[in-house]
Amino acid sequence: MPAPEERERAGGVPAVDPRGLASITGLVRCEEYDREALGEQITELTHTVYPHHDVYGQIVTVHAHVDCPPARVFDYMADPLSLLEWTYSVRELRPANEPGVLVGVDAGRTPIYVRTVACREALTVDYHCAWDQGDELWMVYLNRIVPAETVLKRPGSVVIWSNLRHPYYDANPFPELSKPGREWVGDWWPFFYAGHTIELANLKAIVEYRYRNDLPPGPMLRAVTP
Amino acid sequence: MKTVSLLGVASYLPERVVTNDFFAAGAATRKGMFTAPTTRRHVAPGESAADMIEKAATRLLAEQRLRAADDIDILFTNVSVPDQAFTGCGAEVAHRLGARPRWIVDLHNGGCVSFLHMLELARLMMSSSDARGALLCNVQNAAGRVFSHPEVRLESQAPVPGDGCGVGFVAASDAAPILGIVHESHGGFARDMDAAARDGRRYWEPGTSPITIRFTDERVAAIIDRGNRIVPEMVRRVCREAHVRVEDIDLLITNQPNPIFLRNWREALELSRHKHHDTFDRYGNLFGAALPINLEDALREGKLRAGALLALGGFSHAGDYAAAALIRLG
Repeated sequence: MPAPEERERAGGVPAVDPRGLASITGLVRCEEYDREALGEQITELTHTVYPHHDVYGQIVTVHAHVDCPPARVFDYMADPLSLLEWTYSVRELRPANEPGVLVGVDAGRTPIYVRTVACREALTVDYHCAWDQGDELWMVYLNRIVPAETVLKRPGSVVIWSNLRHPYYDANPFPELSKPGREWVGDWWPFFYAGHTIELANLKAIVEYRYRNDLPPGPMLRAVTP
Repeated sequence: MKTVSLLGVASYLPERVVTNDFFAAGAATRKGMFTAPTTRRHVAPGESAADMIEKAATRLLAEQRLRAADDIDILFTNVSVPDQAFTGCGAEVAHRLGARPRWIVDLHNGGCVSFLHMLELARLMMSSSDARGALLCNVQNAAGRVFSHPEVRLESQAPVPGDGCGVGFVAASDAAPILGIVHESHGGFARDMDAAARDGRRYWEPGTSPITIRFTDERVAAIIDRGNRIVPEMVRRVCREAHVRVEDIDLLITNQPNPIFLRNWREALELSRHKHHDTFDRYGNLFGAALPINLEDALREGKLRAGALLALGGFSHAGDYAAAALIRLG
């Protein structure tokens, strides 16, 4: 495989070497698949409505336009203590034993562990979480902040939040850590679209309000004695 | 508004059964908008729309024990490819049946859902006059007249249409009352379907290249999207206005452009396949004749019991008109 500079020196535009794809079946590319055949596939795949399970069964993605510059949205989301403000029930976050991991309480006083992995250049903020233990953070919330100017030709940011159905959602891997009779977080998967939508709306409202009113981005915290 | 009922329907299918080997190679395996039915009927070269209506209507009148001379006050026709370019066949039909209607209306709009357009007009006319009976006639004859041409039949849409005639009798009566009709026009979509010849001539201009009916290529995506949404919207609206729930519909009958639209409509309305009757695989796209033909087919299969709630719906051409109706069967 020649390096890009080499290809450029050779002149002309790069073209696919058919040998590279020859043994890969099932590709839909215009060379072998005409527009009519593509049209057949497209209409078969396009429904008027989709069952909730087909859309949100394995991955939940919610998104919102936030009327606030991307860097400021990033700063707010990259601070894990902001979760105290915009999530429905993550509270009392404090350092856990593992460096970089916080532990707090979620619904029903369940311990929740959070590690925040943020990349300023890519404008991504991922929360790696788990209930009950902090050794294996398997509930991963992926967030990407996109400059709205670039994608929608309007000011502000677009926040895209995805959550993938890790197998632990279907069965609690550490039942011994659970209080008797407690519901498992994964049983609520069918309602994650709604739950995430509600929390994203919280995020949007808080960030927009403070930006619009020239307030510090937050989170606004006060010290409490345990 | 007077209570008006759809008392009965009857259909006539041309004898000639056309299989997929008549069309371009590969027609049978095509999917999507141009999914080919297994069979469809084509009108015979000399078979007129009036011939077809006469056959279906004669049977309907006999079954309903109606007398053409006394019971038909209004006669409606809608024909996809009219026998004469300059006028409809209603007068000829009336003469052949021995009817003496006060009003003859040859409709040339409403396309695939013109049966409901006629139903609504019949109801309005009966409400404002002493007319008591109306014969509604739909003829689809574009398959044999347009899509059987040696050149046109090789086009990808050619296997989809099928010919047939469906007629219905509407009376000022409460035997099988129409609970509601909704409809709307979208003139902005009117030009997205046209009859055209490859050499660019208009249909009235002389030339040798055959005429075909097609969607304008650049609008296909918009037409699919519109078609997907518009019919479920109309059915939901007529239910809302008649204060019935969509899930209470016992049977839905729509026009049948292709299996994709049929699937998407019943999915959108959350109706099972069994509750959405179609004859696409046998008869293809019957245009405006689909509603009465499918209704007779469903009745014959025993899919509608006394008191059943029947929903009819569809859209025409590229979406320039859409309608839905609800009928409580007697």
